[in-house]
Amino acid sequence: MPGHALPRDIETVVVGGGILGLCVAGFLAEEDREVAVIDAGLPEGTTTNAGSLHVQMQSRFMRLYPDQVPALESSLHLYPKAVDFWLELERHLGADFGIEVSGGLMVAETREQLDFLARKAERERALGVDARILERSDLEQVAPYLGPAVLGGEMCAHEGRVDPLKANAALRDWARGAGVAFLDETHVDRVNRDGKRFELHTPLGATSAASVVIAAAARSRILAEGLGVRLSAEAEPLHVNITEPADPFIGHLVQHADRMITIKQLSSGHVVIGGGWPAELTHAGRHVAVRLASVIGNTSLAQHIVPAMGPLRIIRTWGGINTTTDGVGILGPIDGAPGAFVAIPGDAGYTLGPLSARLVADAVLGRRPAEDLTPFSPNRFR
Amino acid sequence: MGVCHDCLVEVDGRPNERACTLKVDRPITVGREAAGRVASAVGRRDPAGPAAVEEPGRGPIRIGEIPVERPDVLVVGAGPGGLAAAHAARLAGPKVLVLDEGSAPGGQYFKQCSAQDIAPPDDQHLEGRRLIDDVLDSGVTVLPNALVWGAFPPLEFAATISGSTVRVQPRAAIVATGAYDRGWPVPGWTLPGVMTTGAAQSLWRTARRLPGKRVLIAGNGPLNLQLAAELVAAGADVVAVVEAAPAVGVRRVRETLAMLRTAPGLVAEGVRYLSRCRKGGVRMMNGSVLTSVRRHSGGLLSTVEGREAAELESDVVCLGYGFHPSNELLRAIGCAHAFDPGQRRLVTVRDARGATSVAGVWALGDCTSLGGARVGLAEGTLAGSAAARALGRPLSTACARMEARAEAAAARHHRFQRALWRMYRMDESLLPRPTGDTVICRCEEVSYGQVEEVLAEGAALPGEVKRRTRIGMGRCQARYCGPELEALLAERTGRPTDEYSGFAPRVPVKPVPIADLASPMGG
Repeated sequence: MPGHALPRDIETVVVGGGILGLCVAGFLAEEDREVAVIDAGLPEGTTTNAGSLHVQMQSRFMRLYPDQVPALESSLHLYPKAVDFWLELERHLGADFGIEVSGGLMVAETREQLDFLARKAERERALGVDARILERSDLEQVAPYLGPAVLGGEMCAHEGRVDPLKANAALRDWARGAGVAFLDETHVDRVNRDGKRFELHTPLGATSAASVVIAAAARSRILAEGLGVRLSAEAEPLHVNITEPADPFIGHLVQHADRMITIKQLSSGHVVIGGGWPAELTHAGRHVAVRLASVIGNTSLAQHIVPAMGPLRIIRTWGGINTTTDGVGILGPIDGAPGAFVAIPGDAGYTLGPLSARLVADAVLGRRPAEDLTPFSPNRFR
Repeated sequence: MGVCHDCLVEVDGRPNERACTLKVDRPITVGREAAGRVASAVGRRDPAGPAAVEEPGRGPIRIGEIPVERPDVLVVGAGPGGLAAAHAARLAGPKVLVLDEGSAPGGQYFKQCSAQDIAPPDDQHLEGRRLIDDVLDSGVTVLPNALVWGAFPPLEFAATISGSTVRVQPRAAIVATGAYDRGWPVPGWTLPGVMTTGAAQSLWRTARRLPGKRVLIAGNGPLNLQLAAELVAAGADVVAVVEAAPAVGVRRVRETLAMLRTAPGLVAEGVRYLSRCRKGGVRMMNGSVLTSVRRHSGGLLSTVEGREAAELESDVVCLGYGFHPSNELLRAIGCAHAFDPGQRRLVTVRDARGATSVAGVWALGDCTSLGGARVGLAEGTLAGSAAARALGRPLSTACARMEARAEAAAARHHRFQRALWRMYRMDESLLPRPTGDTVICRCEEVSYGQVEEVLAEGAALPGEVKRRTRIGMGRCQARYCGPELEALLAERTGRPTDEYSGFAPRVPVKPVPIADLASPMGG
């Protein structure tokens, strides 16, 4: 079967074929490195993304992980750069990722919420983010689809969405074209040092690599343990609803100051409703099951914010896996294990994915990454 | 009918209504939708417009605001099997709630007439009417227009009933959701004028409408013959019945005898259909299949190949190549399924009384594997009785007698079905051989060629093929393309087909408007 021979003695093995692993592998292969990606393909595929391009701090994150807000703020400058990098990558590949950077709106229903957004926007502006507050009268011009419950909002110009199906397929084609070998549906059980090389154990046997990039989301924790670091990375299964396609009418990435919701319309016309409602991992982490409470709460909230969505039918729901860290990404070399690297993005991992991958790839190539990786170092988890 | 969503229209300003299942009980305004896929009323900023605008003051709802119904027994589906199950369970005492998506109970077999002026009802209608009356008289609550769209472990169901949502947490659930027509993916199978045999039958038997003047019927199985006989009697010009199985010959004596022993009435019915077709001069083509359809001077031109070969003109083509079980709810709640290579489909793992691998869930009839209405009726009585007994309700002597009769009937009709399908067994070389241009996923318009490209690049999991081509992402939720892709992947990868090899079961099992999800019943 195609893609099912375990490569031996590869120069670089990337563990994980999600957005990080795909991009790191592609960047390395473009520099003529010999690269193989080993991807478990589970749960539910590692390229199951919803496609939001987040820049402003998400209120959900701030509410759920208040202690991590300072860390998030410290990496906020990466987010606008990450969106620019998505566009650059799309040009570089000559592909269509279905990107639209038309701005993101975090809406408020009360004066108090709007005040919260005003304070948040001020801090974000200080960190280089284009954020401004819009009152109801402004919103009626800019976002006429919003319902009467919305009092105002924060508009962040850098935000938007990617069509994850288009982008992930194009990235995989590009990586393959650059010479990346893919070994799909294969778990890496553990990674050991073996002299100057690394030994990777899979159900198909072991393989050896001169360098290894661990881009396996929450599973990275187990893999990096053999290399001396105890990463903080947890799987967070989240609920997503998809509507039938409609004429374009939602022009922004819509979020809420105080409630868990994201609404965006893809270039295909489908509206994606998410925002962090919980799903469940089942079958020993191999599958994601949806909860009735999330279907009801999430869609009802969407209709509350955008009432014109009422007649649209939900045609599919699914759970995707977010990875939570301590608030910022885990990117760069593992001290004491030369040749081993970690690549886990921070909150809004899909947005940060390609740029984070570029930074890690540069580190692997022995180049100075465009950003100082010190705050992102895996060595902070010793 | 009701599956493909290719017939979406705007009705009184509401977008995306399925024309095929729309009950017209008052004057309506129907608009055509561009390409049938865009909700044109959505996003309109006309405050008086039809888009649902939330009443001021009512915020978003949470799950706790959805009312919970707690019947002793929930029966999903009011076809023959579901009705029989509800009746048997109710006679033993429990409170029984039946939910059915259709506008009237009866399901696809009893097809209760939707218009008052249809006369006279036939025997099948009358039998259904009697059973429905029995069920209602016994005190079962039967709610039509009730779509059960989700099933959640351990034992919860979510339904929208006439536009609002309810949770059902029964003590026992009996799933009797029937089957839908299998696709026949040959070039042209999605052209306007090509429909399923089931759809044409619904048109005739519920509304006395002919699908067209000149009708070609092609498929595998006795339903095609019944449709032909009905349409001939109704005055249609049935161009031919193209049956994939070879003609009944001397070699079929054993099967014929087995069928005569088990269900002489059904055999007599079959003979009547056949003779009505013969008298009507219908051309019977056995051992042959439809291999393509194309548009031709205002009609359709079909190519038939196999033992007989022909090019046939018609206005309408009805395809009846069997069914797929509607097992979506059973799979969503976690009932074990096994692949039956003979039937080329998943069958629900059950005991002799219909109990599934999930505690409190029974399943019966066509949604578990295929057996037709008689099997459904018998299995319904068995499952209803078993569920009642499991709830601690001992059966009365009369009920126990009914159960014993059902047990014998189930065995007899299973024997009949086995003989019937031995008789109707088609040569596998006649299965569709799609070309690269042939549509596999009609919702997202994905061709076999596009799927082949992705397979050639090494994709081996259905989810990966889906994410790369959009196959299975449309409104029919992979009901047509899913089984085809699964078979294709099994053939290419050599992996066995099982309950995990296809697309994962997803809720909602049918598209549900957000407005319905956000409206608590009675709220």
